[in-house]
Amino acid sequence: MTTRFRVVHRTVYEYGQPMADGFTAAHLAPRATPWQAVVAADIEVQPVPDERDDTVDEFGNAVTRFAVHHAHSSLDIASTVVVDVEPQPVPVGSSPWEAVVQAARDARGELAVDLGPYLAHTAATPADAGLGVLVAPEFTPGRPVVDAVRGLCSRIFTEFAFDAGFSDVSTPLDAVLGARRGVCQDFAHVGCASLRSIGLPARYVSGYIETVPPPGQPKLVGVDASHAWCSVWVGEHGWLDFDPTNDQLPPLRHVTVGWGRDYDDVAPVRGVVIGPGGGQTLSVSVDVVSENRQ
Amino acid sequence: MSSDVLRYAPAPGRFDEVFEADGSTRPTWQAVTAALGSFEPAVLLERRRQADRLLDAQGTGHLVHEISLATDRHGVSAAQRSVSHPWRLDPLPFVLDADEFRRLADGAAQRMRALDALLADCYGERRLVADGLLPLELLHSTPAFRNRTVTGTPRSPWLTHYAVDVVRDAAGAWQVVHDLTDAPSGLGYSLLNRTVLARVLPDGLRSLGVAAVNDHADVLRRALVARAPMGRTSPRAVVLTAGPADPTYVEHSYLATRLGLHLVEAADVVMRAGRLWLRVLDGLEPIDVVYRRVADARLDPLEPGHLGGGAGVPGLVWGAEGGDVTLANEYGSGLAESPELAPHVADAAQHLVGESLSLPSLPADASLATSPVFAGDQDFPFVSCPVVLRLQLTRVGDEIVVLPGGAGRVLAPGDHPARPTAQVVKDVWVLGAGRRRPVVAAAAPPQVDFGGSVPKRVADALYWMGRAAERSEVATRAARVVTAQLLQDPTLADMADGAWAGGAVSLLRAAQSAPSLLPLDGPAATERLEAEIDATCIAAAGQLAAMVQEATSVREYLSTTTGRVLGRLARLHPLLAGASSQADDLDTVLVDLAALSGLMMESTVRGPSWRFLDLGRRLERALAVLGAVEAALARAVPPFAQQPLADAVLGANESLVAYRRRFRSDVDLRAVLDLLLRDDANPRSLAYQLDRLREHTAGLAWPEGAALVEAASVQALAPIDDRVVNGRVVDLDAFVVGVRGPLLELAQAVVHRWFADPVNPTLVQGRRP
Repeated sequence: MTTRFRVVHRTVYEYGQPMADGFTAAHLAPRATPWQAVVAADIEVQPVPDERDDTVDEFGNAVTRFAVHHAHSSLDIASTVVVDVEPQPVPVGSSPWEAVVQAARDARGELAVDLGPYLAHTAATPADAGLGVLVAPEFTPGRPVVDAVRGLCSRIFTEFAFDAGFSDVSTPLDAVLGARRGVCQDFAHVGCASLRSIGLPARYVSGYIETVPPPGQPKLVGVDASHAWCSVWVGEHGWLDFDPTNDQLPPLRHVTVGWGRDYDDVAPVRGVVIGPGGGQTLSVSVDVVSENRQ
Repeated sequence: MSSDVLRYAPAPGRFDEVFEADGSTRPTWQAVTAALGSFEPAVLLERRRQADRLLDAQGTGHLVHEISLATDRHGVSAAQRSVSHPWRLDPLPFVLDADEFRRLADGAAQRMRALDALLADCYGERRLVADGLLPLELLHSTPAFRNRTVTGTPRSPWLTHYAVDVVRDAAGAWQVVHDLTDAPSGLGYSLLNRTVLARVLPDGLRSLGVAAVNDHADVLRRALVARAPMGRTSPRAVVLTAGPADPTYVEHSYLATRLGLHLVEAADVVMRAGRLWLRVLDGLEPIDVVYRRVADARLDPLEPGHLGGGAGVPGLVWGAEGGDVTLANEYGSGLAESPELAPHVADAAQHLVGESLSLPSLPADASLATSPVFAGDQDFPFVSCPVVLRLQLTRVGDEIVVLPGGAGRVLAPGDHPARPTAQVVKDVWVLGAGRRRPVVAAAAPPQVDFGGSVPKRVADALYWMGRAAERSEVATRAARVVTAQLLQDPTLADMADGAWAGGAVSLLRAAQSAPSLLPLDGPAATERLEAEIDATCIAAAGQLAAMVQEATSVREYLSTTTGRVLGRLARLHPLLAGASSQADDLDTVLVDLAALSGLMMESTVRGPSWRFLDLGRRLERALAVLGAVEAALARAVPPFAQQPLADAVLGANESLVAYRRRFRSDVDLRAVLDLLLRDDANPRSLAYQLDRLREHTAGLAWPEGAALVEAASVQALAPIDDRVVNGRVVDLDAFVVGVRGPLLELAQAVVHRWFADPVNPTLVQGRRP
């Protein structure tokens, strides 16, 4: 069964005063995956940029760069995405996780180049974060890799509290681990760092999730969110996504935009404005609408 | 001790640069010993002192890093700056014979090519990863690794400029300490050190035939120009610096001058349509090549992994990927010097270029060779220390040119070779190289006169430098005059129920550009006087610091002598900033300020940059004259207080001598006002400043400015004779306000017309999911 998702993601910056110049790099256009076909992707910017180009980044994601060189006191980025998503297949009877680690370690050629980035430890997913307490109980000797990952996913979901007020973009993993709270971005970092700490390649995935209203209530507009989760390499089967924030393996209502080592690689919008200093306000709204198709 | 022989005790069992193991002098040093003439400590001490002075004149350290007050343009803030010390040049060089240097240079050049191949592979095909020579995750775990887009097709070479630190081990073999590939430092310092030693030891250098290093600046400039994107006629390269806060800023400034290239900061440039442009007074001018002295991680805030918030040039990497501006070295080059990659360089070289590196890497526990270093002590003049050499290499087209010299940094006991703590440097001499074959100037680009293009930031800094110089002079002089009057006649303080003191307080407040107080007299004025004198000195100190700070960022527009005077003023700063400055201290400052003002007039080329410097100065002086007249003359005071107050105003304006010569009479207020406001032959008068301002606005072809100067001039012609009634000045307000109004408008118009473009990059981030 294919589900068609239509996502409208608006990011509006209000600068208060006119800015002379502004440069933006956006990871907003979705990429195709074996289970996701891109039907449409449109990024509309107001004011109309003076220059713009689309390219592909280090990790194969689409990146849109644009610049506004005239006075502007707001920037409105509207991204409209239509994708057809099929359920992700989950392998049954997967290899013991140690065998997958060994296969990654022995990789040569193109596979080595492909896996390398996702074994790396970065500032947001450090090697020495004391993740053993999360990993050791699940990655017991000989356990099939998919079972162990499912266990880790549930463990993060159970042991960490979702707390939108706790962290911000610069909260280090240490603090998240210490307080056992955070948001999806933090949990995705915890998942990636945990897997990489034992030698399993893991991607930080950026995208959207459709929220489902409580039974009997109408869905509110704008309550959906950009979202982050993980993808793990499980050997021959390839990559398998899981969402520790919602304890889902595989994820069920998710639209993939792109992936990298951590948030910084695929930040949805990153920019610099030049002009008088002062407060900028940001408003973001995301709407995800789905329809089932046969 | 014989003075013509170098004697010291090298560490036993280690290679020594001067002595063989059996105690005899090495052949190279036999020649050097003869040529240097004397090793008498007193002689060496004098040579070192001379070197210190010459380095000092280049502002090596003082201009930025030793002034303890940071100021903004509109006041003083007491933020402490980091203190760094200038290095000291050892009077003994580090000497290598031509054969040994050639082996070393070949090894370094081989390494430069290998590192270039390493970078090309790591950001391209990644054979090193595919073939298992690098651990899979290594590149993406290394903070120096930069994400690149697929459009990024870096043009060869990655490295245009490369430096490498090498050291001789105790057995005499050369080893690599580390590579510098990101934004290599030290070339400017090496060139500067040689110009200094060439003054200190001219005969020694000449008679030994030491290889010349000075043409390496030309080599680098040619290399940079050769990297311009295809099809650019008369390409322009610039030196990009993070600004005066960078610890190696002095080098950037010196090197830019030697290269004959603009030194630019992020605020001086802007990306438009894929190209980089220099913001000059009259618009934008294209830049083709950026010799960046800003590290990868601080270059472009748009790039992932950027450090330093919004600082940097947004979009620069994007532009470089498009091929319309070249970065030298390429963005991402810092990867090759990262400690994570270092253990793999030798294997990578073997794998990628099929060569084994002739210079091995220094093992962690290696013991090092030693050199004599002058310690200055009469009884034990030399100590024996290891020295790390920094070699400089430039790639011009396919050729690698190695600077035949370099800098040897002395290691203090316990220093890691990569982190010398001793601030002592040796100039490196290569002997017997003969005349070097001249580097062929391949298709020299046409000469372009960039003298007319003044970056906005430079004009801005010069303008504020001029204003701050004048403000500090006005404040210092006011404090000096009032202090002197009090010294000569202590009864003045209480005279006429504080009438003089009230006027003096007002004069001092005006000199501080501080708001005037309600008219003070009586004991309140007398009590206030000392505090205002101190406050005026502190204000002068603040302006002095502001001036030095502005000057620092435009160092290459000022003459070497100007740099020396600025260094002196920076050191005099504490005299003013401390409470209770003495009259002598104030005189010392005034003399140096006068020297500075003379240099501004006599040693600065009359271009647009000078105009802004002088414009700032004239504008401030005009405002100061008006302020002084308003504060101290346009007051109702008893006639017998009028004389000392008029003296004070004339003195503060440095017009007292002129007045006495001309009038030889007691004070006549009409004559005083005429001299201060009207006399266009008095270079301190209002009329004279207005004339200069008129010239500057005309020279800049700036009608709006000219109109404002004209408006001020018309007001300045208003009759003032009738403002003196019964020996008192009455109702001068209309005159002062009438002239001051257009001048204040002019001050705003200058900023708006010439410098505006508020450059204040702010990082915009998304909200977390």
